[in-house]
Amino acid sequence: MTDPAHQQALFIPADGPAGSQRFCVYHPPVGHAAGTVVYVHPFAEEMNKSRRMAALQSRALAAKGYAVLQIDLHGCGDSSGEFADATWATWLADVATAARWLRARHAAPLWLWGLRAGCLVAAEAAPLLDEPCHFLFWQPPAAGKTLLQQFLRLKMAAEMLDGKAAGVTDALRAQLAAGQAVEIAGYSLGPSLAQGLEQAQLRPPAAATQSIWLETSTRTDAALLPATQSAIAAWRKAGHDIHAAAVTGPNFWQTQEIEDAPALLAATLQSLGQALVPA
Amino acid sequence: MNVQHEVLRVIDEVLSLGGRSATFTRDTPLLGAIPELDSMAVVTLITTIEEQFGVMVADDEIDGDTFATAGALIDFVSGKLAA
Repeated sequence: MTDPAHQQALFIPADGPAGSQRFCVYHPPVGHAAGTVVYVHPFAEEMNKSRRMAALQSRALAAKGYAVLQIDLHGCGDSSGEFADATWATWLADVATAARWLRARHAAPLWLWGLRAGCLVAAEAAPLLDEPCHFLFWQPPAAGKTLLQQFLRLKMAAEMLDGKAAGVTDALRAQLAAGQAVEIAGYSLGPSLAQGLEQAQLRPPAAATQSIWLETSTRTDAALLPATQSAIAAWRKAGHDIHAAAVTGPNFWQTQEIEDAPALLAATLQSLGQALVPA
Repeated sequence: MNVQHEVLRVIDEVLSLGGRSATFTRDTPLLGAIPELDSMAVVTLITTIEEQFGVMVADDEIDGDTFATAGALIDFVSGKLAA
């Protein structure tokens, strides 16, 4: 595995008020680049819980010859801006920025690698790029609407533990509809981002792609979620070549303790190796 | 499907109990008794139950009582599956 010291932390300029920038970690490929990969992280606390897996996978990819750029989206991690100021549009633009940065350095095929909500951001950013791309989806959600509901539920759950849960979610939605940010689990969620997430879907892009869809399952007989199977069928019908699999492992983006999913790391490397598109 | 077995498995995984749920009975208290069961874990439990059992849970369907004991949660899931 690549020496972690080999990776480079850097800031990339971004559109917005003076000084706008995005924090990135670049993992240079060992040898000639077989592919370039932009990692699009998941939403809110899931980003923090999955940091370790993202780092492990990024390093493993670099060791296999992929140039990987992890980018903290607008208002997230160490990038500029407050979470409340982030919008779906700025997030899509960030993916394009990251893709351009890698393209300026390597000629190899581009993969957008998303985890959970990151898959939705990646899928919707693809049409905005100057070039074709492929997708590496980790735990792709059925729709952004489901993720938003799960996030709003955090407030309800906190209230529930205090014995007053009724109507909490409705009140949050009313607040967002009125153009106000809502405070949930330490995050200030703005109406624009909430709306973008709610409307996001994994629509198959017009240009045919190769895609890898991977899920972890805690069941010993790991199988893809039913909603995922429907989505994959739609993408294949639209002409996309998809390799999909479920591996046994923890849902590391949401577990109480930080956990690893080694089977996912292995499956990712193997799938990419088999999917290699001639440069 | 053995609902009790599956629900206890989900609890164990979501709360990172490392197999402790194998000792749980229907009377084992959950909310307030397990420190790992905070609001984030409650939401994750609901979501995981939805995904793994293929059910939809409305916000007004649940309250603190649903998570009072393992038995209460198992009964809730059984009820959703029978619906």
